[in-house]
Amino acid sequence: MELSFDRLTKHYGSKIAVDRVSAALTPGVYGLLGANGAGKTTLMRMLCAILESTSGEVFFNGEEVTGMGAAYRNVLGYLPQDFGYYPHYTAEEFLAYIATLKGIPRGTAQSRIRELLGTVGLSGAAKKKLRTFSGGMKQRVGIAQALLNDPKVLILDEPTAGLDPKERVHLRNLLADYAGDRIVILSTHIVSDVEAIADQVFVMKNGQFILRGTVPELVRQAGGKVWELTVPREQARFWQEEVTVANFRHEGDNVVLRIISDQRPSELAVTCKATMEDLYLYHFGGEA
Amino acid sequence: MELFRLEHKKLWRKTSVRVCVLLCFAYVVLFGGFLSYQWFEFGSSNDVTSAFGNRFDGWTEIRASQAQAARYGGLLTDESFRQMVSDLQQYDAAGMESGLGRSERTLLNGWLSQLYPELEEQDRGLYSVLMAYYVDTSQLTDFYARRDAVLEDFLHSQGQWTGPEGELLRGMDAQVEKPFRYQWISGWQKVLGDALPDLGIVMALFLAIILSPTFAGEWRNNTAPLLLTTDGGWRRLALAKILSGLTFAAELFALLAIGGVTAQLIFLGTSGWDMPVQTMKLLAVAPWNMLQAEIYEYGFTLLGVIGYAGVVLLLSALVKSNVLALLLSLAAVYGPVVAAQYLPMGAQKALELLPLVGSASDIFRTNTFHLFGKYIWSPYLLITVPFLIGVVCVPFAILKWSRRQKA
Repeated sequence: MELSFDRLTKHYGSKIAVDRVSAALTPGVYGLLGANGAGKTTLMRMLCAILESTSGEVFFNGEEVTGMGAAYRNVLGYLPQDFGYYPHYTAEEFLAYIATLKGIPRGTAQSRIRELLGTVGLSGAAKKKLRTFSGGMKQRVGIAQALLNDPKVLILDEPTAGLDPKERVHLRNLLADYAGDRIVILSTHIVSDVEAIADQVFVMKNGQFILRGTVPELVRQAGGKVWELTVPREQARFWQEEVTVANFRHEGDNVVLRIISDQRPSELAVTCKATMEDLYLYHFGGEA
Repeated sequence: MELFRLEHKKLWRKTSVRVCVLLCFAYVVLFGGFLSYQWFEFGSSNDVTSAFGNRFDGWTEIRASQAQAARYGGLLTDESFRQMVSDLQQYDAAGMESGLGRSERTLLNGWLSQLYPELEEQDRGLYSVLMAYYVDTSQLTDFYARRDAVLEDFLHSQGQWTGPEGELLRGMDAQVEKPFRYQWISGWQKVLGDALPDLGIVMALFLAIILSPTFAGEWRNNTAPLLLTTDGGWRRLALAKILSGLTFAAELFALLAIGGVTAQLIFLGTSGWDMPVQTMKLLAVAPWNMLQAEIYEYGFTLLGVIGYAGVVLLLSALVKSNVLALLLSLAAVYGPVVAAQYLPMGAQKALELLPLVGSASDIFRTNTFHLFGKYIWSPYLLITVPFLIGVVCVPFAILKWSRRQKA
């Protein structure tokens, strides 16, 4: 199974949202990392065939997806960003509605809905109206609807938005467990999410993939660019204005700064082990 | 089918829909039906300054009025007509308010002023007095000959006496059975003259509120990206939405119609169902009785409502804003109603073919449409064209929404 796209491009007037991106995805979890406006959502909508590209094509097992129509939608599960729902529906009714839209027979759908509500931890709220749900609960309903048809390609746009840390861990485990022989693509700007479960990461900036690779590969690229510098507390502000500071912690009267920089920022700075977050800050330090 | 069931359920689950249905039912059936029969309209008069001052005795009063009308033998002849006017004058002379209240004095006076205008006395003092109170009943002869003459004058004045149009109208009138059957008319007048012709225009308000978010609301709910990735999604969904919208319109109609007919049967019974519509409007030419007229008016409203629902659904598919869809839907029916009075007759007649803009009470009129060299009595077109307009809107709504979704 392969989902590929070739020089996929989307223009909105003179603005280029996605700029000639290409990749071939085989089963696994793919993280799409980028700041807001990097083009992640636009790319995902084109991968779902709900947004026409300006140029370039998306293929599923070698077949162009817009031509596949319902055959492609049958293997697709999608959680849009700002997932829309019907507030007067209960979780169970909403999932039944989406199941019908997905062409799942009523009998099959009912057992699947029960199973998924359990999976996303909403069995107890199945009969509650969606308008009474918290942001995290709604997001979990959104994830459940994306899984209804047991999709081979699962595309999740910001699936962890609105989830508390416990829910995020639960979702990450769920996706890691689910992936198996499926293609799972999730976009986020929460670095720890992709770091935890993505087999491959694509870093997007200005509509292009600026980096791609496994987490260790990408982290290696940040090697030698992460420094620790201990300075007196009163100098902390100066350093924050001068360089990208990933983190700082107080140690007595001093502050230990974690600095992202191509050059050693000070004679006193020492290199330290890079993380995905450092890499992210290296590329998006000024905008994320 | 399952999708239709769920869409239909989704529509009824909305609180706003339930509130609208409740309000519509309360206005049409409770106030316009039960309370109107029992209190506002047919309750005996106590305080003449307001209908709310009537006594709560409509059911009893209606029965008494029907019994009073039954005394005239069930037929409207010169003799029975004279007797009705004579009885009215005696009630007046005796100061018998209850008898006067149960007499159909407004109706009798209408017949007198139309058929016997020469008997009207212009100088009756400061306050005008109904002819029925003073006219010499011995002069009330040739009721039907006079009615035919007045109809002829009317058709002449409208330019409808000669030619194929005149032939059509005179041919219809020739089928009207005479003498007219006569029972108590006021109850039928309320049903056919007031309640039913207004039903559609009241329903339009509630249908606009309920159905205008059908498609436009999906943008507000931000569900489009989700729906588009479902199997066969948009087209099947659009069809399900349209069917559920049309079904809802029919259900709302059925709810109101059942309520209305129930109230009618409880208060009026079936007495007078076979009276010709001419007893309500002397110059009507339709050879129909009250029951036929009621069936027409209900049919007119049902088809108009379905036609209007089709228009609202199309408008909802055309725009992305609930508010705009609502305003356009309201404008589609109330706009032409308001604008018609400033337009020439031809344009007015054309506008009346829009769903719920025309009136079911055209069955009491002699309006025609001249199409392809043929004259067609207006009620035939007024009942079919609005429905067809709605049907034509359906594929456009599906197409438009589908295209919008893909954009």
